[in-house]
Amino acid sequence: MRRAVLCLLVWAGCASGQNSDQFEMRVRPVLARACYACHTESAMGGLQLDSREHVLQGGKSGPAIVPGDSDASKLIQAIRYTGARKMPPSGKLKDDEIASLEAWVKAGAVWPTGLKTGGKDAPYIISDAQRNFWAFRPVTRPAVPAGKAKNEIDRFLLARLEKEGLKPSRPADKRTLIRRATLDLTGLPPTPEEVAAFEADRSPTAFEKVVDRLLASPHYGERWGRYWLDVARYSDDKLNSTQEEPYPNAFRYRDWVIAAFNRDMPYDTFVKAQIAGDLMPDAEKYRAGLGFYALSPEFQDDRVDATTRGFLALTVACAQCHDHKFDPIPTRDYYSLLGIFANTKLHQTPLATADVVADYDGKLNAVNLKEKALNEFAAQQARQLSDILAARTEGYLLGVSGSPKDEQFDEETVTRWTTYLSKPAKEHPFLKNWEAARTAEERREAAGAFGALVVAVSSEKKVVDDKNHITLGANPNRQDLSSANLVSMDRDRYVLWEDIFGEAHGVLYYGLGKVDRFLSGAWKTHLDDMRIELAAMKKALPLAYPYLQTITDNDKWNEQRIWIRGSRDNLGDIAPPHFPQILSRGEPKPFEGKARLGLANAIANKDNPLTARVMVNRVWQHHFGQGLVRTPSNFGLQGDTPSNPELLDFLAARFMDEGWSIKTLHREMMLSAAYRQSTEEVPGNMEKDPDNRLVWRFSRHRLDIEGLRDSLLFVSGNLDTRDGGAPVKFGAENHARTAYGFVSRRKLDTVLGLFDFPNPNNTSDSRTETNVPLQRLFFMNSDFVRAEAKALAARVASAPTEAERIEKAYRIVLQRAPSAEERLLGEAYVAATDGGWARYAQVLLSSNEFGFIE
Amino acid sequence: MTRRQLLHTMGTGFGSAAFAQVMARASETPSDPLAPKAPHFAPKAKHVIFLFLNGGPSQVDTFDPKPMLTKFNGQPMPAGNLKTERKTGNLLKSPFAFKKYGESGTEFSEIFPKLGACADDVCVIRSMYTDRPNHEPSLMMLNCGDKMPGRPSMGSWVTYGLGTENRNLPGFVVLCPGVPVIGHQLWSSSFLPAVYQGTYIPNNERKTEQLVPFIHNSDMSLTDQRRQLDLLGRLNRLHSERQAGDAQLEATIQSAEIAYRMQTEAPEVFDISKEPEAVRARYGDGDFGRGCLMARRLVERGVRMVQVYYGDGQPWDNHDDIQLHRKHAAASDGPIAALLADLKATGLLKETLVIIGGEFGRTPVVEVSGLVKVQNGRDHNSHGFSMVLAGGGVKGGMVHGATDEFGFKAIEKPVHPHDLHATALHLLGFDHTKLTYRYSGRDFRLTDVAGEVVRDILA
Repeated sequence: MRRAVLCLLVWAGCASGQNSDQFEMRVRPVLARACYACHTESAMGGLQLDSREHVLQGGKSGPAIVPGDSDASKLIQAIRYTGARKMPPSGKLKDDEIASLEAWVKAGAVWPTGLKTGGKDAPYIISDAQRNFWAFRPVTRPAVPAGKAKNEIDRFLLARLEKEGLKPSRPADKRTLIRRATLDLTGLPPTPEEVAAFEADRSPTAFEKVVDRLLASPHYGERWGRYWLDVARYSDDKLNSTQEEPYPNAFRYRDWVIAAFNRDMPYDTFVKAQIAGDLMPDAEKYRAGLGFYALSPEFQDDRVDATTRGFLALTVACAQCHDHKFDPIPTRDYYSLLGIFANTKLHQTPLATADVVADYDGKLNAVNLKEKALNEFAAQQARQLSDILAARTEGYLLGVSGSPKDEQFDEETVTRWTTYLSKPAKEHPFLKNWEAARTAEERREAAGAFGALVVAVSSEKKVVDDKNHITLGANPNRQDLSSANLVSMDRDRYVLWEDIFGEAHGVLYYGLGKVDRFLSGAWKTHLDDMRIELAAMKKALPLAYPYLQTITDNDKWNEQRIWIRGSRDNLGDIAPPHFPQILSRGEPKPFEGKARLGLANAIANKDNPLTARVMVNRVWQHHFGQGLVRTPSNFGLQGDTPSNPELLDFLAARFMDEGWSIKTLHREMMLSAAYRQSTEEVPGNMEKDPDNRLVWRFSRHRLDIEGLRDSLLFVSGNLDTRDGGAPVKFGAENHARTAYGFVSRRKLDTVLGLFDFPNPNNTSDSRTETNVPLQRLFFMNSDFVRAEAKALAARVASAPTEAERIEKAYRIVLQRAPSAEERLLGEAYVAATDGGWARYAQVLLSSNEFGFIE
Repeated sequence: MTRRQLLHTMGTGFGSAAFAQVMARASETPSDPLAPKAPHFAPKAKHVIFLFLNGGPSQVDTFDPKPMLTKFNGQPMPAGNLKTERKTGNLLKSPFAFKKYGESGTEFSEIFPKLGACADDVCVIRSMYTDRPNHEPSLMMLNCGDKMPGRPSMGSWVTYGLGTENRNLPGFVVLCPGVPVIGHQLWSSSFLPAVYQGTYIPNNERKTEQLVPFIHNSDMSLTDQRRQLDLLGRLNRLHSERQAGDAQLEATIQSAEIAYRMQTEAPEVFDISKEPEAVRARYGDGDFGRGCLMARRLVERGVRMVQVYYGDGQPWDNHDDIQLHRKHAAASDGPIAALLADLKATGLLKETLVIIGGEFGRTPVVEVSGLVKVQNGRDHNSHGFSMVLAGGGVKGGMVHGATDEFGFKAIEKPVHPHDLHATALHLLGFDHTKLTYRYSGRDFRLTDVAGEVVRDILA
């Protein structure tokens, strides 16, 4: 609704080019929303509604419009639902939308020159109205509204509240405030001592001191770095579809992000490092940031998506099959950016000297070669042995069936034959005679025939394999396979071969470890020697050197072409690497020099209207529970409009002026009276602004999983305050902060998943907050919560009386003293319960007061 | 105050009557994301059971008989082979005979005789097609409506749209002995709230109390836990009163009560030893049979959607030897037929949509890329495959669509997974274009920007 009003105002204010603006504001959005899914390049019914020519040309049933005569226009008949064809099929348009289209046709169906959606060679025209959209206007620093409040943020907010007739809530009490600030900045609750000190500090700067102390804590980066990792879709493994495939060095990117927040790395530098850290001066300081791409899902479109949504809140990846349906983003912009990433490759940057790298790589290679030799030798012996045993198949069969054993049988082989022959169903027909044989003579005959066949299929398999290997050459891979003419055995004979000789379950196959007992003399010595050597080499192998997972540009630049309708088989124009057109002045120009560095500089740039606004909004969201723009990764037409655009611009402008310092931004926001309000309702406000968009109170919210889990560990005294390092999988034994746990793109940890941790397959801009039974089961029954409850009970056990123990527990968990009633309830419960304290501690840890930020 | 008085005080407000009140309110609370919700229009189906034969079952060996394939066995496809993942050769006839079943005379392969006996209750779609001849994108497409990971699964959409009828059980349950290829992404809620994600149950695990995460407390009796929860509830109420009431705080309090009852109900539903022996015998003791029986018990108790994967990895992926289909069919034919029969007997089939099939089909031509293996198998085929539907407002005894004469490509009334999803949502009472969720400034739906309801198969 608010957006519609804003559009109208803009339209009314535009005197010149009225027809073109009418099209832009009233017609094009309707076409885009209601028609373009079917009537652009996909041209359903032959109809394309993406240019005046196409509209006039119409579809299978003739021209779509008659300029000047809306009643005679098929398009208008269709949207009125009066004719035979009713469009759009999903439901009739709103009356005012129909009226807009009618008016447009009556006025001659003006289509701004050159403005065409899609198409191959047509220039893409962005109208003034589009450029004037709030998110694309340059950031200006609006005047701070007049008012009594000292803090500028408050003046912006109060001016709005006053205008809407809303009153702010009263200030929160000191204990609530320090708990809120501490959880907010560090993800951990304050200690009882910190609360006491703050409550005792009567100076006007008491809270300022708390905020500064928290911003200096190393726990700050662990909290706020993790929010960035949501955007960066950080994961410690790949989305491998069949097995786990961890990135052993991914954590170095995670730790770099956390350190960057702790050091207050200027945000523009932080951005540049992640896009082109390897191309910056002092590359060694920034290269780790490239994990943003090196650890991403291996789809190029993900990279465009994460880049544009993450840094710019632009949904450029929507423009890969067609021009963006809502925002001024041509398909060319998408391929232009895609080309930059398509021209990179994954790279491991060692964090060790060349000598160490060469030494390790050499030794590892030798180990692999030795291992291969050992396996090949064993396999060779196994194959030979199976042929030797196969030659005695007749004897074994007869022996198994009770005939006199005239041979020196191998006991294990007898057992294997017995098992195999007793299996009810065989996948081949060759034992039917044997199974039917009744007399000794029949048995002998069947066994003989079967034995001969076993020997024959072994020979046949060798011939077939040889032929195929020759066809393929020395180094077979799938690429070769797809063009080679390979031969194979008859299905039944192959099944028999697999049953007898196959490595998996072959009756006569004795692989490495099993074949040993058949070997003697030089063969045995050779095998043993190889084993000993391999073990020694493995033992002598140094620890793998650390490396950064990065990207690097390809040696040669491959021009990226537009894929028409997203199909790689349908190539269009070359899309040279450039910045999106809407963020360029006029026609975008190809980046000079290294394209990736050009992109980094264009994003991390004061002239860019989005970068600062987007980050300021992300920080605001995590402090206040919702952003000034509630779609933090989409500032386009389909996104939210800012609840207080002047404030957003003020913050963004000052953010850039203050050297892109995120810590300064936190300070400004947290020292506002708005941040320090209580969560209490104010009479009358709920009706006017139930969602608290104008920040008349503090929004209560559930702690996210990091806050919950880390707080549990903190109050129980179990938190492992390690400083990053290799990730550890979650479980009752893992006491490290959640940010340091193993994040899996393949299989998200159950507990993380239960508590709305974002899916690391996509860039993610906010957390949903659910409150569901499965989460309560975690608090009731998990080993983790029970262990922390026990530890908390032990932590307070030394207090002399029950009342004091309860008081101590309250102070640690909730940072306040219990009320008389709460104490009484606690005493009664503990007295009446076996193992009472641990269970009581579990109740406190499961309480709402502990799990919410007030 | 004596101990007894105190305990009495603690109990106040948590007697069974008060408890019932709290629970009655639970279902009314609009903030409860799983509360049953009405769809757009009167639904035919209220539940979905998706029996996923993962790996890609071959249509020409199961549900799509092709006499021409037998006739031209060993000869090249006249029009040339369509592009699939690997190299393929000449036409390969099915080693299995087909037979007509029921009054409808729908043909089924000899490896599905029991499902064949249900012919008059099922609709065979023989004109399915999808976009890629690779497992991952096709699994994603059939489960989540997009080739790439990152979209919510069908079960998540369904529970998002309808909530669930039994709050003591998860609304969307996924059973698999092991994990299918890709795994957890296939039942992810992605950007929908996490409450709609599938609860994954590795149904080869036989200890029922370990099937749902954190369902069992090893060192506290239910009575002790009740007392503990009463104390928690009391403290939370005191807190809420100080905060002048709040929907989120209330939701948490109610969730704890539901969680408490889940502990009893959830293990019970997975305990198939409670079924009569004759019933268990019909489903068999295999993983898939047990999964089908669990699915029936879950739906009987109001669970919205159950997905049963046939096996770990991708067992139906028989590149080398199509004869292996016989084994997989033997392990699934009986359970599917038993499930359909039981649902029919209780009348539940009318309101339960059963979907049977895999992520794509297989080529009617032989795959020739196996290096040292036998060449008696078929490659992936995204151009044409079959799915079987039953119940929930789907016509029985019918065949919809057709592939070409050899069974390679869907040519008559082709049905894309988007269309299947649109149809399933339609049966559940939704206009698939209007079941949307706004995320990052865009309205997303299960069917992306496509999907047509397959009206021909609606009863």
